[in-house]
Amino acid sequence: MPSYKRPSALLPMATGYCPGCLHALGTRLVADVVDELNQQKNAINVISVGCSALNLYSWSGDDIGAAHGRAPAVATGIKRCLPDRLVFTYQGDGDLAAIGLAEIMSAANRGENFTVIFANNQTYGMTGGQMAPTTLIGQKSTTTPCGRDPQTTGYPLKMCELISVLEAPVFVARYALNSPKGVADAKKGIKKAFELQLAGKGFTFIELLTNCPTNWGMSPLDTLEHMNTNSIPYFVPGVYKDKEAEK
Amino acid sequence: MKQSFVFSGSGGQGIMSAGITLAHTAIDMGKHSTFLPEYGPEQRGGSAKCTVIISDCDIVSPLPKKCDTLIAMNEQAYNKFIDDVKEGGTVVVNSSRVTDIERQDVKTISVPVDDVALELGNEKVANTVIIGALIGATGIVSKDAVIASLEDKFKAKSPKIMELNIAALEKGIALGKGAAE
Amino acid sequence: MEKRFMKGCEAIAEAAVRGGCRFFAGYPITPQNEIPEYLSKRLPEVGGAFVQGESEVASINMVYGAAATGTRALTSSSGPGISLKAEGISYLASSQLPAVIVNISRGGPGLGSIQPAQSDYLQATKALGHGGFRAMVFAPATLQEAVDLTYDAWEYAERDKGPVLILMDGCLGAIMEEVELPEMKEISYANTEDWCLARVNGREESHMITPILPELGLEMLNRFKGMTYKMWEMTDVKVEEYMLEDAEYVVVAYGIAARVAKEAINTLREQGHKIGMIRPITLYPFPKASLDNLDYDKVKGIIDIEMTIPAQMRDDIELQVKGRCPVHEYGRSGGILLDDEGVLEAIENIVKGEA
Repeated sequence: MPSYKRPSALLPMATGYCPGCLHALGTRLVADVVDELNQQKNAINVISVGCSALNLYSWSGDDIGAAHGRAPAVATGIKRCLPDRLVFTYQGDGDLAAIGLAEIMSAANRGENFTVIFANNQTYGMTGGQMAPTTLIGQKSTTTPCGRDPQTTGYPLKMCELISVLEAPVFVARYALNSPKGVADAKKGIKKAFELQLAGKGFTFIELLTNCPTNWGMSPLDTLEHMNTNSIPYFVPGVYKDKEAEK
Repeated sequence: MKQSFVFSGSGGQGIMSAGITLAHTAIDMGKHSTFLPEYGPEQRGGSAKCTVIISDCDIVSPLPKKCDTLIAMNEQAYNKFIDDVKEGGTVVVNSSRVTDIERQDVKTISVPVDDVALELGNEKVANTVIIGALIGATGIVSKDAVIASLEDKFKAKSPKIMELNIAALEKGIALGKGAAE
Repeated sequence: MEKRFMKGCEAIAEAAVRGGCRFFAGYPITPQNEIPEYLSKRLPEVGGAFVQGESEVASINMVYGAAATGTRALTSSSGPGISLKAEGISYLASSQLPAVIVNISRGGPGLGSIQPAQSDYLQATKALGHGGFRAMVFAPATLQEAVDLTYDAWEYAERDKGPVLILMDGCLGAIMEEVELPEMKEISYANTEDWCLARVNGREESHMITPILPELGLEMLNRFKGMTYKMWEMTDVKVEEYMLEDAEYVVVAYGIAARVAKEAINTLREQGHKIGMIRPITLYPFPKASLDNLDYDKVKGIIDIEMTIPAQMRDDIELQVKGRCPVHEYGRSGGILLDDEGVLEAIENIVKGEA
């Protein structure tokens, strides 16, 4: 009977995420996979700006804080100098899909051999719930008080879809963390991405659909249902590119 | 003894290459030299100018306003820089393209550089012809040192290119000498 | 020592490699493109990595990542690109990461002009980025000096764990001069093992590199950095003092402007004018003592000569002169070069009291 333990890749401390936030689960899945692959001493976690910055202090292995949106550039510098290390970024939607759009697309297009974990909760959590590039149409935020209007703010960015049309990436997939199956699949996806990286195959991208009870203004349980009815129909989970499987 | 040379013309005439060859040759002869290019923003066909300084001692400033010698490969360059030549200085002009000689207080060496290059079979060696004219008229560096520097420059190219450049250099020297006398 | 007739940008690129640089990231901008072009070929030859970034912003952050691994990392740009790198340079400072940045400066502000200018003194010495940090700023005047300063730049960057800036104008980037190239340095990561990201696989302790700190920690870092900057003033000022003993007028100039000024001083000395020069080689730390210790009973005026208008070094000069004599300035700007005749005339006019 396997026992349920804290992964050694995480320090025994509170993460700082709000109660009910699926970010913490995403972080834990990454840490679990690092443990399973015995990469605790080999992994380098590139931490971004936003709620994901809370990982900086709870991660037990080597980690480095990157400027807002620049994690893929920082990871590029690291991986080019230390090609044998397991390098990954952990970024939120404002960081990755707004201010860091150039960095993520260019790193993916160069086929940098690292993994990007992208937590998509459709809001700017840390700064107080402003509109994110992934905020759904009609969704209220502190900068779209009447709901997101595509006439003035465009449409939510689908990052997996965008990245999967590039030639270089080897594995691009989206998972929703609001169901046990989604969580189990996400862990498998993260593991696959890390294994591909360790085999030197190239750029891997994992999008995790998460929630934000605090800024969505819902109970954690309600956010899970909201994801089923709103987030998942727009951000459809699935494998968008699997170069190895195509062979 | 410090002397300054301005090579001028349009992009594609081998202005920079001629300047570098002169500077390189001077250094090979144990002198000090600087080469400073000035480009317009255009990648092709714009104006090209470079300043070469040759001196027996360390070169302090590489930015003289007036030069001792102007090498003008076309009329536009001649008109633009002729006033920057010191009184009593030397101007080597490509008389295939420059016909109107303004200043009488400088020594003008006119050599039909383009025509000579065409006669030799390749207009691209015009810049080697004008280096020849320059050293034929001024003796600033020796012919052998220029050949050594050209050999270094064309070592990866076919021997024919070197032969052509030596012919261009010699023709230029003869014409430069003749014009100076 | 190996002598070569080299272009400025290529000379400092080669000096960087010989000084241990094994990573470069940059974005094309005139007049410094020969640096990335040279290194794209040269770095792979020595086992290093070259990345053409998608922007200056990305490039400086690639350098941030590379520096975090203990690798000697370099980026280069010109004024507009250095502005874009400002964020990343500030992060290097807060995360205490060593790196070298080269600015081959051009006319400004804005897109300005692609021709040479010394228009980035204030940016270099006062505010390379937000948050109030300083970087050591080297301003060579000859290619030999540029080679020597670049070669040793990482020694300072690693000693003080922060960015070092090499500031040259487009003239020095483009000029060809003869340089002696130093030997290739042996690369040792011994100095970086105690802080860098996992270079040693399986090392017991983990390292965190962070640009964000709790308030007290940040204040402590800033206090420590403040002490470091004071130390620089005592131990790291580099300056050339030229013919100051009997000088009645003292030119202050750096980089290419100092070379043009020195030529004029030599000419004026022959005519019997007592003129000297202070040439800061480190713009930060600024050679305060050289100016403060002048004999103001003798010195009748200071002449600040820069290839920019208005003069940017003037504030630093006046803080040391303290009103003891007039401070004059002369410059050209916008990509128009200083020249021997213009500078000579400007100094002559000031000396003869016609300014």
